[in-house]
Amino acid sequence: MIIKDLILSRWIYPLLKNEKVTGFFAFMLIGSCLFAQSGIPELIPVTQTYVLQNVQIVVRPGQIISGGTVIIQDGLIQAAGKDIAIPAHARKIKADSMFVYAGFIAGLSQSGIPRPESAAGATGGRTPGGQGQQRPRVSDPWNPTYEESGITPYVRVRDVFKSDDKSLEEMRKLGFTAAQVYPIGKMLPGQASLVSLGIGKNADELLLKENTALVASFTPASGAFPSTIIGVMSRFRELYKNAIRLQDYQKSYGSNPVNVNRPMADKSLESFFPVLDGKIPFIFQAPDMKSVYRVQALKNELKFGVHYADVKEGYYVGDLLKSEGKPIIISLDLPKAADEKKPVADSSKNAAPKDLEMEALKARTAEELKRLEGQAAKLAALGLPFSFSTVGVKSTDIKETLRRMIKAGLTEDQALAALTTTPAAQLGVSNRFGTVEKGRAANLVVSDKSYFDEKSSVRFVFIDGKIFEYEVKATPKAGANASAGGKAAEAPKVAGKWSYTIKAPGMNTEGILSFSGSGSDLTGEWTSSQVPGTNPISNISVEGNKLSFTSNISMGARQINLDFNLSVDGNSLSGTVGVGTFGTFDVTGAKIDGQ
Amino acid sequence: MFKILNIFNLLFLVSFAQAQVTKGSLLIKNGTILTVTKGNMENADLLVENGKITKMGKGLVAPAGTQTIDATGKFIMPGIIDAHSHIGIDVVNEASRPSTADVWVGDALDPLDLSIYRALAGGVTASHAMHGSANAVGGECETIKHRYGTLNPEEMRMEGAPRTIKFALGENPMRVHGEGNRIVPATRMGVEQIFRKGFEDAKAYMAAWDLYEKEKVKNPAALKPVYNKRHETMAEILKGNIIIHCHSYRSDEILMLLNVCKDYQIKRLVFQHTNEGFKVAPELAAYGAMASVFADWWAYKFEVYYSTAYNAAILTKNGVVTSINSDSEEYIRHLYHEAAKTQRYGSLSDEEALALITINPAKQLGIDQRVGSLEIGKDADIAIFDGHPLSIYAVPQFTIVDGVVRFNRSKDTADQRLRASATRAETGFFLHKEQHNHDRCLEGAFENTATFFGLERE
Repeated sequence: MIIKDLILSRWIYPLLKNEKVTGFFAFMLIGSCLFAQSGIPELIPVTQTYVLQNVQIVVRPGQIISGGTVIIQDGLIQAAGKDIAIPAHARKIKADSMFVYAGFIAGLSQSGIPRPESAAGATGGRTPGGQGQQRPRVSDPWNPTYEESGITPYVRVRDVFKSDDKSLEEMRKLGFTAAQVYPIGKMLPGQASLVSLGIGKNADELLLKENTALVASFTPASGAFPSTIIGVMSRFRELYKNAIRLQDYQKSYGSNPVNVNRPMADKSLESFFPVLDGKIPFIFQAPDMKSVYRVQALKNELKFGVHYADVKEGYYVGDLLKSEGKPIIISLDLPKAADEKKPVADSSKNAAPKDLEMEALKARTAEELKRLEGQAAKLAALGLPFSFSTVGVKSTDIKETLRRMIKAGLTEDQALAALTTTPAAQLGVSNRFGTVEKGRAANLVVSDKSYFDEKSSVRFVFIDGKIFEYEVKATPKAGANASAGGKAAEAPKVAGKWSYTIKAPGMNTEGILSFSGSGSDLTGEWTSSQVPGTNPISNISVEGNKLSFTSNISMGARQINLDFNLSVDGNSLSGTVGVGTFGTFDVTGAKIDGQ
Repeated sequence: MFKILNIFNLLFLVSFAQAQVTKGSLLIKNGTILTVTKGNMENADLLVENGKITKMGKGLVAPAGTQTIDATGKFIMPGIIDAHSHIGIDVVNEASRPSTADVWVGDALDPLDLSIYRALAGGVTASHAMHGSANAVGGECETIKHRYGTLNPEEMRMEGAPRTIKFALGENPMRVHGEGNRIVPATRMGVEQIFRKGFEDAKAYMAAWDLYEKEKVKNPAALKPVYNKRHETMAEILKGNIIIHCHSYRSDEILMLLNVCKDYQIKRLVFQHTNEGFKVAPELAAYGAMASVFADWWAYKFEVYYSTAYNAAILTKNGVVTSINSDSEEYIRHLYHEAAKTQRYGSLSDEEALALITINPAKQLGIDQRVGSLEIGKDADIAIFDGHPLSIYAVPQFTIVDGVVRFNRSKDTADQRLRASATRAETGFFLHKEQHNHDRCLEGAFENTATFFGLERE
C-alpha cells in the first residue's frame, strides 16, 4: 500500500531521513505535491545511491547471501555481496534482515494497456452503431477488413501503452518491475514488448525491448469472419502462407523490379516477417488443453517458433509442452474452490440423507481443481521452464495464487525462477534483469519476510534504481480498535437501496441495487434496464470501503457472470463491473434511501 | 506452389501420424455374427488382432492372454456408423458468410464430449462430425472414430477417411444470410448461385495456379497467386477429392443441386435429411447420388412438412444407397431403433435395415473398405447386443473400436466424463438438453448476434 505520495517518497523523503513528520513538514509536503501535480518540474533527488545492509540477498533461485549488502547507484546494482564498503552519500534503507530479490518479470501481461473505447475491435475500426442498432455491420461479409476480422498484428505496444495507468502501480507493489505486454485485441492483437513498470512520462520512457513476439489467440471476431475457432485456424494458415508469398515477392522485386508489377504493401502480412525470419516467436495463447493441441497442430503444419501462453491445463499436456523444447508462459488465473456452504449444525435427528451422487461429483470437482493448482509443480518436475502470465488476473489474487501453487508442490525456488530468471531468459534479457548481481539493472523487490510467506509484505521496490516505498498496514487486533487511532476505516453502510449507472460505449444501463443485513449476513439483489426481473447477488464482500459481489444472469441459453468491484464513499459508490467476455465497464451510483 | 502445398500436406500427415491410435486384440466367442454384407453366422467366434478382424468361424483360439468376450446368446454386428452428427466438435457453424469452404470442423475436435460415450452406449463406433447448415457452403467435416478415453483430438480422426464438405439448401442459408445480413442468398435461387459462383471462382483459381506452375519452369521468379483456402477447397471438390454432403429437404432443390453437379462433373454427392427424396428417388439413383435420412422426423420447419416414414424404404428399393442418421446426440444412442422402423414402414429385410446404419453410411463417407461390415481384414469396430439389434428389447452390451472395448455395459458407471469442471459440481447429464428437441444444424449460427449492454459478445 502506498502511504506516501510517489513524488514525496522519491524526492522529498530522503530529506526527512527518519525524523518524525511534523505538522509543518506535512503542510510543506502537501504543498509540494500539489505543485508537482500542477506541472512544476521534478526536483532532482538528493541522492540516487541507496544501500541495503544486513539483508538476505536472493541472488537467483537457490543462491542466498545472508547478511549481505546491496548498493544501488545510478540505476544499476553497484555491488551485491558481503564486506562491501558503503559510499558516504548512500541513503541507508531500513531493510535489516529483509529479503532482496530480483524484480519480478511478468511473462505476459496487459498492464498499462487500456481497454479500447469500443468493444468492437482492438483498434476501433468500427464503433457500435446508434440506438437500436444491435451490432456493428460488417462492411462486406465476404471481405471484412483486417480490423473487423481482429487481425491487427501491426499494433505496437508503444502506440497504445499508457504509462500512467493505475495497473502499473498495482503490479509494482507486488514486486513486478517489468512485464511483457501486448495490445488488447482478437486473433492477432499485435506485437508484444517488454516494458518497465516504473515511472515514465510516456511509453517510450518505459520501453525495454520492442517487438519481442507476435501474439496470437483463438479469439474470434464478432459478426465477421473468422467468428469461430475453425475460422481463426483457417484464416491463420491463409495469412501465414500469404505472408511467405509477399516476403518472397518483395525480395525478388527488390533485386529486380524490371518487368514486374510492384508488390502491394500489407501492414498485417508484413508484421509476420520477423516470425518468418525466426527473429521473434509467436506467443500463442492456449489456456485450455484443447487449445494446446490446436496450437501444436498449426505449428507442426506451418513450422513457426511458438511460446505457448496463458496455459492453465498444462497438467494434462505436460509431456507435449516439454517436447516442444521452449519455455512456456502459464496463467496465474486459478479458479477458486466453489463456495462451501457452512455446514448445517449437526442435529443428528433431522440430518438429511447424504446425496451420494453429489458427493461424488464434488470429489471430482475438487480433484480437478487440484490438477489446475498442481500444473506449475508438475511442469517444474518435468523440467519445463515457465514464466507467469497475469492476463485476466486480479492483481490482488496473485500472491495467494502463488502460495496455492506452492502448496500443491511447487518449490519456492521454482516459483522465484518463474518470476525472475525464466522470463528474463525467455525475453533474451538475462544479462540485464532477473538476478541480483553487480551490473544488472537495479530492479529489486525487498520483502520483510520470505516473499512466499503468508505474512510477508513488500516494503521496497526499486525500478531502474528508483525507490518505491510501502508501509505495512497495521492489522488492528480484535477488540482493540478503540485504541487503533480512530482512523481505522469504519465499514461503510452498504445496506439500503442504491441507484447505479453502468457506462458502456453507446449505452448506459441503469437500475437499482438493494442490500439488506450486515457483515457476513449481507444479502442483495439488483434490477436493470437491460435484464428483466430481479437478479440475486452473491459472493458479497466488504473490506474497508471496498464492496465487491457477483451475479450470474442468463441471456437466453447463455450464462453471463457479472463481477462488481466498487468503492463506497458515504452515499456514493464508484468502480467497475466485469461482464463475462464483454469487457469491464465503469459504474457509478448513489444511495437512494439512507439507513 | 503445389509442391510446397504438398510438402505442407505431408507435414500435416506426419503430425497426424504422431498421434498413436490405440489398437487392441480380442476374441469374441460363440455369438450370432451379423456380417451385414455376407449373411449371418450362428454360434461363431470372431478374432481381432491389433485392431483388425483376422478370423471368423467356429472354434477359434487366440494367443494366451488375449481378452475374451463370451457372446453366447448375443448378437455381434458391425459398429454402427452415423453419417450425420455434430458430436465431438467445439464448433458447428462458421456462419459469417454464405460460403465458408475454407473452414474445417476437424480443427475444433472435442475429445471430452460426453456424447461420444453415449453414442458408444448405442453401439455407434464412428460418426460424421459435420459443419452446420447456416451457409450454402459450410465447412469441411471430419469422420471420427469413437475412441472415447483419449484426450488428444488427433486420435479421434479416422485416419485416411476421405475429405467431406457440408453444403446446405433452403431455409437455413436464406435465413442466416438473406434475412440476417441482407445479402445473397435471400431466396432458393440465390443459394444455387452461391454454389455456381464458388465453382467458377475455383476454376479461375486453378487456372491461375496452373499458369504459375508453367511460368515457373521458365522463370523461377514467377509470381505466385495469392493463396485462398476457400477457392482451393472448392477446387478440390471439382477434382473429386472431397465428397459433398448436402443438407436438403425439398425435391426441387435436390434436382437443382444434381444439375449443378452435372454441370461441373461432380460425382461424389450425398444428400442429407432428404425428406422429399422419395419423390426423386429414380433421379438420385440414376446420378449415383446417395441419401442419408431420418426414419420419421419432420415438421420442425415449413420446408420439412412433406415427409414420410417410408422415405428410407422407397429410396432403398429404388437403388439409392441410403442411410439413417441422427443429427442429434439423443437419436445417436438408438439408431438401431431408427433402422428398425423401416421394417414397420416399408418392410425392409433385416439386412437392408441394418445396412442403413452400417455399410451404407460407410459408403457415403467413403470408408466402406475399412468399416461397415464384419469381414476379414476390416477394422474391428463391433457392437455386441443381448438380442437382435432390430428388436425393441435389444440392449447394447459391448462396443469395440479398433479392437479396444470402449463401452462395456457391466462396467458403466454413473460419471463417465473424462474431465470434470474445477468449479462446479455438475452431472453433465443435462449438458445438451437445450438442443434436445431440434437438430443441431444451426447451432451457433445466431450466437454472434447476442448482445449485452448494447454490445456484442466477443
